[in-house]
Amino acid sequence: MKILSGVVLVIVLLAGAIWWVADMQPAEPIEIDNPRVRLVPGGAPMAGYFTLANHTDSPVRLVSASSEAFGHVMIHRTVVSADGSARMAHQDDGVLVGAGETVAFEPKGLHLMLMRARRELEVGEAVEIVLGFEGIEPAERTVIFTVVPVTSS
Amino acid sequence: MKPLRLALAAVMLLGLAACADEGWNGKSIEGLMPELEFELTAETGETVTESVFAGRPVAMYFGFTHCPDICPTTLARLVAAVRRLPEPMQEELQLAFVSVDPQRDGTQQLADYTDAFSDRMLGLTGTQRQLKALTRRYRTTYGYEDERSDGSYNVSHSSAIFVFDAAGEPQLMLLDSLGVAEIAADLEKLLARRAENADNA
Repeated sequence: MKILSGVVLVIVLLAGAIWWVADMQPAEPIEIDNPRVRLVPGGAPMAGYFTLANHTDSPVRLVSASSEAFGHVMIHRTVVSADGSARMAHQDDGVLVGAGETVAFEPKGLHLMLMRARRELEVGEAVEIVLGFEGIEPAERTVIFTVVPVTSS
Repeated sequence: MKPLRLALAAVMLLGLAACADEGWNGKSIEGLMPELEFELTAETGETVTESVFAGRPVAMYFGFTHCPDICPTTLARLVAAVRRLPEPMQEELQLAFVSVDPQRDGTQQLADYTDAFSDRMLGLTGTQRQLKALTRRYRTTYGYEDERSDGSYNVSHSSAIFVFDAAGEPQLMLLDSLGVAEIAADLEKLLARRAENADNA
């Protein structure tokens, strides 16, 4: 009898553990990693980079970005054509991140163009940028970006 | 069968060697474009010509300071590559940033910008006529997109770094796809060749 009750106990515990794991939601529907602003001197626009992971099972779209520290923020992509000419393309429809996918905002690709800094920034400083999404609630997330040197990647 | 295979392999190897572009990571432009010649305004406010480089090899990039992504990325890679060179070579190579956006890039703006990357980087800009003469010479273009409501505008420009030898002869185009190690290898090879020539002279 002792063995049987032991087996039953193990089964009950296992079932409970499985139920608990299955019921767990990812802590956050989206995850923003390594948010950073590359400092450019002289009042010229700077670029903001990060990776954006969508942990939900439906698409999420980044549609806006704004910051108290900058007059205007745009979502851009650098495009280098076959002849070597580089230009920036404004992402009119925002940036779509498929279910379970990760999109990198990185040098020579997608980036936030941070225009008209309202104050002088310094390397190591933290800057708040509000990112607006479609497909998650709440739609706005305030992300703390770290100011990094212009020579960093 | 075997001799045929060998012959095929030999032909393929020859083909590969030809494609390898003399072992450069960048694109060799030696003899394909005219020697360096310009009249521009330096970040110091002075009007200068190619003689400002005083017979030193030059790595030149065409961009604009209101370029948040590709310009700093490329210039940072170039500077990181230069730091990997042996000390005497670092001192020898001149870096130049030519702004094709003179409307926004005044001398102070240029000086602040280039200083952030390297004290060996000279900022240059000029009139549209001067800039067109220089960019056309190296078969590259630039252009301005429509102004946004706030008056800001985007500029298209070349993504390559042009490298000239001490005599101002074009040598290499370092494409934007190259990493720091690849740029450093090309610069070291080019500067070593110059040292060899100097020894022979």
